[in-house]
Formats: sequence, C-alpha cells, structure tokens
Amino acid sequence: MACAGPIRLYTRLCRLNNSGQITKKISSCASSTFSIENSSYIFSKKNFKSSSSANIVNRTCPFSNIPDFALISKNFGTMGPQQTGSKPNDDIHPYKLLEDDLKNVYVYIREVLRKNTYQDDLYEIATYYFDGHGKAIRPMVAILMARAINYHIYKEHNILPSQREVGMISEMIHTASLIHDDVIDQSDFRRGKPSVNVMWNQKKVTMAGDFILAVASMLIARLKNNDVTLVLSKVVSDLVQGEFMQLGSKETENERFAHYLTKTYRKTASLIANSLKSVTILAGGDEELCDLSYQYGKNMGLAFQLIDDLLDFVSSSAAMGKPTAADLKLGLATAPVLFACEQFPELNPMIMRRFQESGDVEKAFELVHKSEGLEQTQFLAKQHCQEAARLARLLSESPYQKGLIVTTDLFLNRIK
Amino acid sequence: MSVSKFTINFLRRNSVLSAGASGSNVFCDRGFGSAQPILKKIPEKKPDWNKAVAEAEKIVGYTTSFMSLRWLLSDEVANVAMHMRKLVGSNHPLLKAAKGLVFNGKNNMQAWGLIVLLISKALGYTSSVKASDEDKVAGFLHTQRALAEVTEMIRTSHLIHKGLMNMQNNSTEDISGDMIFGNKIALLSGDYLLSNSCMELANLQNQELVELMSSAVRDLSESEFLGPRDLQNNPLPSPPRSQSSLYRFNFAEDPLDPVKIGDALGNAEAEWTLRNILESGSLLGKSCQGALKLAGHSAKIQKQAYRFGRHLALSWQACLDCQPFSPGATGSFSLVSAPVLYTLQDNHDLYREIEIGSKNVNEVDFERLRQNVLAGPGVQMTKNLQQEHSDIAFEFLEKLPDSEARTALINIMTALI
Repeated sequence: MACAGPIRLYTRLCRLNNSGQITKKISSCASSTFSIENSSYIFSKKNFKSSSSANIVNRTCPFSNIPDFALISKNFGTMGPQQTGSKPNDDIHPYKLLEDDLKNVYVYIREVLRKNTYQDDLYEIATYYFDGHGKAIRPMVAILMARAINYHIYKEHNILPSQREVGMISEMIHTASLIHDDVIDQSDFRRGKPSVNVMWNQKKVTMAGDFILAVASMLIARLKNNDVTLVLSKVVSDLVQGEFMQLGSKETENERFAHYLTKTYRKTASLIANSLKSVTILAGGDEELCDLSYQYGKNMGLAFQLIDDLLDFVSSSAAMGKPTAADLKLGLATAPVLFACEQFPELNPMIMRRFQESGDVEKAFELVHKSEGLEQTQFLAKQHCQEAARLARLLSESPYQKGLIVTTDLFLNRIK
Repeated sequence: MSVSKFTINFLRRNSVLSAGASGSNVFCDRGFGSAQPILKKIPEKKPDWNKAVAEAEKIVGYTTSFMSLRWLLSDEVANVAMHMRKLVGSNHPLLKAAKGLVFNGKNNMQAWGLIVLLISKALGYTSSVKASDEDKVAGFLHTQRALAEVTEMIRTSHLIHKGLMNMQNNSTEDISGDMIFGNKIALLSGDYLLSNSCMELANLQNQELVELMSSAVRDLSESEFLGPRDLQNNPLPSPPRSQSSLYRFNFAEDPLDPVKIGDALGNAEAEWTLRNILESGSLLGKSCQGALKLAGHSAKIQKQAYRFGRHLALSWQACLDCQPFSPGATGSFSLVSAPVLYTLQDNHDLYREIEIGSKNVNEVDFERLRQNVLAGPGVQMTKNLQQEHSDIAFEFLEKLPDSEARTALINIMTALI
C-alpha cells in the first residue's frame, strides 16, 4: 500500500484531529486496509468525522517510571464521561431497562445445564462462571437489540422467547470459550476468583467447556431456524480461528494491525454481532435490518475489546478481577502496544519475541504509557462506538433504541 | 474380483436401481420387518477384519479412515502441525493420540464413518428427499456423507481432548514448556474439529439432527466424569457393591435426555454399559439414527437404527476389552474394561490391587491383575456380553433386504466375534 501504514495514520489522526481534510484522505486510504470479513470497515463510512472534543487523556503519571496501577486507573476514571450520542440520554440505563429480562439469565442457564447432566462435578465446573457475578454484556445487548428491532418493525414492546434464548446462548458460548481460554493461557484468576483451571484438572475443565458448547448447540437447534443455526455456528468457528491467530503470528509490521483487528473480530466481535443478527432474523427483519444489527454488534464488539486491551494497561487488578498487563505476559501485542510501537520502534523486537526476555514486559509497559498508544486505542474504540450509535439512530425511536445508544457510552467509559 | 471391476459392477447395478421411480429406495417403512430373514449369524468362513473393512470401503467408495485427516489439510491445522513437530521428543500424550489416529486398525474407531455410510446405503432413502445424480450413483446422500464426517470429527475431537495433560497436580515438578504448549495445541485442535462439525451440521439445515448430534457431544463430555479418577483423569473402577449382579442398566427412553447413572457404579455390567454408552454407544447410535433421519425414514426405524449403532459400539468395545487377555498379551490395559470389572465383582478383595493406582493407574501391577482376571470368569463373561450386544445389532440387520452394504456390515461384525 502506497500510503503509510494504518498505525501511522492513527498517530497522525490523533495529532491532527481537527483537520477534516486529512481525515478524508485517511478515510479513503484506510477503507481498504481495514476490511474485515468482506464488510466495509467503519472508516469507509461517510459519517467518519474526527471528534472535536479530542479525547486525549490528561496524563499526570511520571513518564519514566512504571506508573502505579491505581493512579492511572483513577486518572482514566476521572477523565469525564465520553458521549458518542448527540444528546444525552440520562434517563435511560440499559441494565435498569432490562432488569426483568436479565435477572434470570444465569438462573436459566444453570437450570438448562442441570437438566443435561446427572453428574455433580461436571455441573459444578460448568456452572462455575454462571454465578451471577458476570456483567452479562452479551445477553444485555442481544435483548436490547431484540426489543429495539421488535419495536422498529411491529411497534410492540414484546420480546420473543426465542430471542431471549439467543441472549442466553451467547453467554453460554462465551463462557465455554472462556473456560477453554483459561486452560490455554494457564490463567489463575478470573472475575475476582480462582479460575477453573486452578480448581479442577485440565481434562475435566476442557470437557466441561465441550459440555457447555454441546448444550448451547442443543438450544440453538431447538430454535428451529436454519439461518440462526448457521449464523451462530459461524461464531464458534470464528472463536477457534481467532484463538489460532493468537497462537503465533509471523506477519510483518504492516500486516500486524490488520491481523490484530481480524483476531479481535473473531474472538470477540463475531459473537456479539452474530447474536444480534440472530435476534433480528428471529424478529423477521429483512436483510438490511439484519446487516444493521450485525454492524452495530461488530462495532460494539471491537470497541469492547479495544477498551479491554486498554484497561489491561491502566486498570487495577482489583477492578478487573484478573491480573493486569496479562496480555503482555502472555506474549500478546494488543492495540496500545501496536500504536506505541510507531513512536518507539524498540518495541518491535520485543513484539517479535513475544516479550519473553526478562524485563520485556516491564519495558513494554512503560513505553506504552510513555506513548500515545492508550489515547489512540481509546480514540479508535470511540470511532467504533460512534458508528454503532449512528446505526442505532437509524431504528425507530424507543426506550430500547435509546438504550442501544447509551450502551455505546457504557462500553466506552467502562472501568472494568 | 479386482477393485475396478467390482466398482463398475456396483455402479452399474446402482444406476439401474436409481432409474426406477423410487430411486434407490430399497427400503421403506412398509417393507420394514417384512424382508425375509435370510441371515444366518456366522458365515462359513470368518472374514478377516482388515479385509472386511477394505471391502466395505469400496462399497461406499470412500476411504473413511482418512476422513478426519482431510480436515488436517486446512491452513489453521498446517500451522498447528508445524507447532506439533516441536513436541516430538517430548512425551506429551497428544502425540500418542495423534499416532492412534493415523495408524489405523481394529484398535481405534476409525471405521465409524464407514458404518454410518453402510447403514445409509443399506436402507436407501425415501422419495421425500431430493437426491442428486451423484447421490443416486453412490447409493447414499451427500448429506449422509457429511454426517459420517461429522461423526469422525466429533470422535477425533474427543480423543484429542482426552489427550491433554493434567499439570497442576505435580506442581512440585517443573512443568515443561512443551507440556503447556502441547495442551494448547491439543485443546485448539479438538476445538477446531468440534467447530467444524458445528458448521457442517448447520449446513445440513436439519435442526433435529443438530440437536441429536449435539447431545452426542454432550454425552462424550460426560463420560470423562464417571467414577473415581487418577491424577491424569484415567478412570478407575468404582468399589464393587455387594449383591450387585442382578442390577441391569436402564437404557434411556429418549436419547436426547442425559444418561441416568442410577446404581450403575459398582455393578460390573451396569457400570461398563454406562461408561461405554457415554463414550461410544451414544455417538454411533445417534449417527446411525441421524443418517436415517436425513434419508427421510420414519421415527420408528430411526429408533431401531439408534439401537443398532449403540449395541454395535458396545459389542465392538467388549471385543476390544478382551484383547489384552488373549494368549501372549502383555502391557497395561484399561482398568474399567469389562473383564476387570467382572473379575472385581467376583472377587471384591482384588479391589486392593486397583487402589494402588488411585493416584496413577500405571502403579497397578498389570501382570498380576491379568493373571487374576484370566483365572476368574471375567473374560468368558465379557465374551457373553459381546454376544449379547452383537445379537441385538444383528437383529436389526436381519430385517434388512439383502444388499452389498448389508453384507459388508455383517462381515465387519462377524470379524469382531
């Protein structure tokens, strides 16, 4: 590609983010760079505008030392809420809006798993993460979209039982993949408690993951909708392929960011995007609506993971419920590192050797904080949230549609 | 008969059949059970296993043994294969699992896809399904072939996931990077096969089938939780119960329901049956049922095919269980194999020998245990058990009209006895 790599573009974008001209140029250039799964990426959309309220973090941490987790976390927390919507929707809170819908998600999942095995230790492992302490983000967004779409098409506030099921299924698929991730990453801690990997032996944990996936597949089949089954099977396949991509990457510097985004799509965004598409299919939405909900989900999924990768650098372990800088320790170069690498090329060899030499993790951590990588990551997440909000605004106005818009802010401003 | 001649004859016969109005439907609901009982159980000369399988593969025109290897030709797995080479020289159990997949023989279940195709062909398809020209030539549907592949993939995925190492138990030792890496690869490779079977099943656009096969995956995952386990999750027999011999295992009415454990553990035959239904009977049974579902057969026949597959798998397993007790056999064997369970039931004191392996099954004195088993009634009882299950499977085949596919199934089964 003739123009500079995508990372450099972002770097420039962040510095010159008031110049519409450059934005335009970038937009045409980047559209081909960031094509994921054949669908046009957000930057090719005509409404791509860089925000005038530049969202550069007012960093106060000492540059040369590794900053204190808590301090940074506080700084991020006090940055002030980001708004992606044109007007505030203070009266709408998605979790409150869906209180009745969400309160039984975990209960229902545990019931379904209980009905599918008479073996107590399998049940115990399989339900370990369905303890009700999760954020239930996937069911929340799926149910929100279902209700918004139902209102859009039928002007009714109801939700189909099958749509509700898709919300549960998405959480089950997510958890099955979490459980397998725990085995792969040898992680010790998740959601503020010891990971399944620590509690039981790997073979049983692996089988418990298979079990949850199998039960989820049975639920999918019972929806009796060929298209939904196809769409949700694609999610499972994406999850595994994303994991493969994470295993080893030999790509060049220029390919690295595209690789990272594709991986992020497969590991995180695909599940959200395709769950939303499924609830729209079940509502009887046409292709255009299906695509809208899919695109909303995809943008939200990407934003969610970008923020997750950012929080891995700035949040405290206590807030996240899992150790921070975990990605570096696993040898993974996420968006903040890839952005930082533009400014500090000395990160390149570390990325290539997956931060395995002693001192790599600390050094990389420090350089990321020194760079504009974190702001750039957040800026990118914000672009995705804005695009998602734009799509949500295309739906008929309803509390749920507003909820979809508010959720974009929730995703962007979350601190854990 | 040479291969080509055989194939040509066979194809000719089939195209003649498919020229008829009902396609290659050699079997329909009405005709079921009315076919003449021409089958005598044991042909004069006992067929050789490898020959029986090779002949059967010609009938379905597909080397089923390499079905799951076809998936290994994709990009993702090529990447994995590269990583896997790093493991050569380490003793990660994944290597053993991989070897077991490639080296075909009576000892593994590679012939399962073949059984699914043979049963598909033996029963044909009803006029309610649309068959392509290729389907008519092959004598079974391309969707059934896809299902046969799914069967192999699910089976393989399970074997690979079983090949993981448990590591935190020996945390005092230094866990080598190879082992961690091996686990990653094993887990991902298994997941890859599983996700592929999800996609393949979804493409068949038959939700009843998706549910059925998903329940088979569920059953397989359950199988790894039964009874006591050593630190590597190898199964150990449950302590034998007194006065247990009369307890019979209760087969579930609806295969979609999970298998009930009841009082099976500690009752030799019931425990063995429970373990092996979860581990193999369920998958083969459901695959046979699913194949007939795709061909539009009635629920009643599907159910009988399920039973056929389930008992064929059990008969097969009983046969495998006997092998370590054939003359001259050495080495270790499964502690939950039928001969061992029967022997334990006959002699409760022997359980002490088993308990030696409660941390690591390899600490059991297998030679001494073998002598005990050989001295007891276990092997004979296992042979009876095998006969019992193969009779049930034969019962189904007897009702089918004569065909090459049926003969091939009979040959495979008699080769087992």
